[in-house]
Amino acid sequence: MSMNWKSMSAFIAVIYGIMAIMPLFVGDVDHLMHILIMCLIWAVVASCWDLIMGFAGIFSFGQVAFFVIGAYASAIFSIDFGINPFFAMLLAGTVAGGFGVLVGLPCLRLKGAYVALVTFAVHMILEPFLKSGMGRAIGTGGSMGILTIPPLELFGISFTADNKIAVFYAALVLAVVCSVIIMLVIRSFWGTAFLALKDSEDFAASLGVSGLRYKLAVFALTSFLTGLVGGFYGHYVGMLSTRMLGIDLFVTLMIMLVLGGIGQYPGVILGAIMTVGINENLSALGSYRPMILGAMVVVLVLLLPDGIIGLLRRFAFWKTSAGEKAVTGGVDNN
Amino acid sequence: MLQASHLTKKFGELVAVNDLSFSVEEGQVYGIAGPNGAGKSTVYNLITGIYSFEGDITFDGISLSGMPPHKIAQLGISRTFQIPQTFPSLSVEQGVGVGSRFGDSDGYDSENVESILEFLGLEEDRNLITSDLNLLGKKKLMIGSALATRPRVLLLDEPMAGSNAHEIRDLMELIRRINKDMGVTIIVIEHFMKVLIELTDKLLIIESGTKIAEGDPNEVTQLPEVIESYLGDAYADDN
Repeated sequence: MSMNWKSMSAFIAVIYGIMAIMPLFVGDVDHLMHILIMCLIWAVVASCWDLIMGFAGIFSFGQVAFFVIGAYASAIFSIDFGINPFFAMLLAGTVAGGFGVLVGLPCLRLKGAYVALVTFAVHMILEPFLKSGMGRAIGTGGSMGILTIPPLELFGISFTADNKIAVFYAALVLAVVCSVIIMLVIRSFWGTAFLALKDSEDFAASLGVSGLRYKLAVFALTSFLTGLVGGFYGHYVGMLSTRMLGIDLFVTLMIMLVLGGIGQYPGVILGAIMTVGINENLSALGSYRPMILGAMVVVLVLLLPDGIIGLLRRFAFWKTSAGEKAVTGGVDNN
Repeated sequence: MLQASHLTKKFGELVAVNDLSFSVEEGQVYGIAGPNGAGKSTVYNLITGIYSFEGDITFDGISLSGMPPHKIAQLGISRTFQIPQTFPSLSVEQGVGVGSRFGDSDGYDSENVESILEFLGLEEDRNLITSDLNLLGKKKLMIGSALATRPRVLLLDEPMAGSNAHEIRDLMELIRRINKDMGVTIIVIEHFMKVLIELTDKLLIIESGTKIAEGDPNEVTQLPEVIESYLGDAYADDN
């Protein structure tokens, strides 16, 4: 079972509360501020992945693709159409959401590994498309990528890579808003529908749950939020290439999910922060890093199937049991 | 109330249901029996929209052909499954709530959920994860979720399977109360012939997807073709 409303809110408040005061200590260290910003960005992407895979039980492997679609779309809207980056981000989220629905449609008839194959195919197709003549025609920059993405500007503040504290707080607001949306969805009847469809689709349908409506809704919502954050990322770093579609980012996101606990929201937020930290520390290992990341997925799945949240729950259960035994003098009441 | 006309379902070369027609009247307890693989559960899957079919099924004159399962549920036809289905991610109360939230055309009704938990004796288990219930508890919960949709017709698929004599008595009493007290029309698939004779107003016997008899349970079970094709020696020994 997922966390209750209070625990979920408290967990999110504590994590983002701690994050909010971090600039007080590392605000002048450019590299660390970049890591914190990336923690927040990946926390949203991984949370969306958790919502669709962990809660709705849809094995969607297209999350990185939706992120890249959002990033490119927002860049193209702002560069080629002169749209304000803030509105370009919203439009990019809508474009990614639309793609999510298009990808979701064929997935309605599929289950499990077949959904994973279809959604990962989108990921695989995206790189050659962005590099192709067709991609260049819509402004992707082909193999060169996009190099001159304007920064987000709001209330006279320019959220550039040179002003990382401002970017950090903008990312924090975005992460909090997305987390609250995800939490509201999970705790609402939408979340109940997702869980019911995941547990037993035929039974859920026989009780009036529309698989079509709720599956498409979860595809639309998660790809919208992922695309929105993708747009934010593009305006922050100022340039984009198809390198993001490599296996590295995909595996890293998977570690975030597994470490946080699949379907154990909001554990994935903590998983994202820890994974970004671990990943940074592994960067000195160069080409061995992906190998270690891959091994981490295997070890985590075997040892921590419910991630950190599962571990915390086991610890709390052990503490309660130990407390009860202490009260009863260790006598088995049965 | 519910009418199936010339119902046929083929899976490739296999004809699972063959030109089957039957009708269920409002307030009835209607039984369906037949040997394993006769197509009984397939009939349920046709009525509830899981499979497409040839022929027609009407509910109060409305054709169910091509209607998705969730719409059929909202129309007033609910069901249980042979292998108890629950939602392991949800609590007992939430599991019943799914039926109320999505199947009841009036939307979620906490009083209805409460009364169903009480009706089924599941009040104290309301916060349990559904996977923690025993087999009887899971069956009751499945029935509870279905009842929360406020069905006019409830399809029960082998509700007695795996139950001991005491549990069978409990379940029979429960089915009677659902029928009499709640006014829900029941269609029940069952292998226990004594249960069907005691519980149902009308009995349909099918074999290889084809109707071989329909009528009063006491009379139908005495027909030579029924004894030969389905009941066989076991029934003869029983009596």
